[in-house]
Amino acid sequence: MEPNLVQFRKGVLDLCVLALLERADAYGYEIASRLADAIDMGEGTIYPLMRRMQKEQLVSTYLVESPSGPPRKYYRLTEEGRQSLLRQKAAWTDFTQAVNAVLDAGQDGTS
Amino acid sequence: MNEKDDFMRRLAGGLRGMPKDTATDILQDYEGHFGEGRRAGRSDADIAHQLGDPARLARELRAEAGIRRWEDERSMAAALGAIVGLLGLAALDLFIVIPVLITILIVVFCLALAAVCIGFAGLVILPFAILNILPSSDGSWLQNILIGLGLFSAGVSGTAFCALFLIGLTDLVSRYARAHFRLISPGASLSAGV
Repeated sequence: MEPNLVQFRKGVLDLCVLALLERADAYGYEIASRLADAIDMGEGTIYPLMRRMQKEQLVSTYLVESPSGPPRKYYRLTEEGRQSLLRQKAAWTDFTQAVNAVLDAGQDGTS
Repeated sequence: MNEKDDFMRRLAGGLRGMPKDTATDILQDYEGHFGEGRRAGRSDADIAHQLGDPARLARELRAEAGIRRWEDERSMAAALGAIVGLLGLAALDLFIVIPVLITILIVVFCLALAAVCIGFAGLVILPFAILNILPSSDGSWLQNILIGLGLFSAGVSGTAFCALFLIGLTDLVSRYARAHFRLISPGASLSAGV
């Protein structure tokens, strides 16, 4: 994988997890498998990330009995997490718009 | 040996030395992940491969826990824990940073030592000066007292400055490390470096 791509993914992983949790509470495996598909990252990474977010109080956890197997640890967005998501989302939108504008301008210039 | 057992054994090995309940908690997360994956019909080998290198995951978890402890406690032991945890990451960037860091630490240590000595000298001089029995001094009584006080306060402020500098440095290194060494990629792309 290109080093640059790794850096990009690193940057957006937090944002993606927060966005995922905004829609619905989820448990670790769910988050890991969805994001692994979406942005091609190692599934194992999600657990250190969730621990950090929990300590930063962006998410809270609760246990739910599973129909099969042991109880699942669900993650829920806290108010602080919601605020963080709003801020990061705005920053992301601004950034991508600026980059797109530059890329489009470049294309027009060469064609 | 089964891939799951192998993964869990290597992860547990990497987490050795962490507080027991934290390590158990982490192991349970991954244990649950294998359980869910199996129920979704995936093979242990596939799940383990997608999770990535357990040794590296353990290093990241340890480093994160170390930094966290430093932020919570601000004790010398916690600072050492954070630094040891960061060294455990053994990332390439750090090899460039380490010599610089070591040099800075040595310089700060020498400065702190000098500051302590100066402060101590001032403290020793002060009672002699007050009693006006300071040997080998041609200054007046007041001059000697002021010299003693001056040396003492210079020493104290120098020591305090070094302490503040060390605290700032640890914060900075922690932030730097967290920004650089967050893991994303599974085993395959690790060799490419992060």
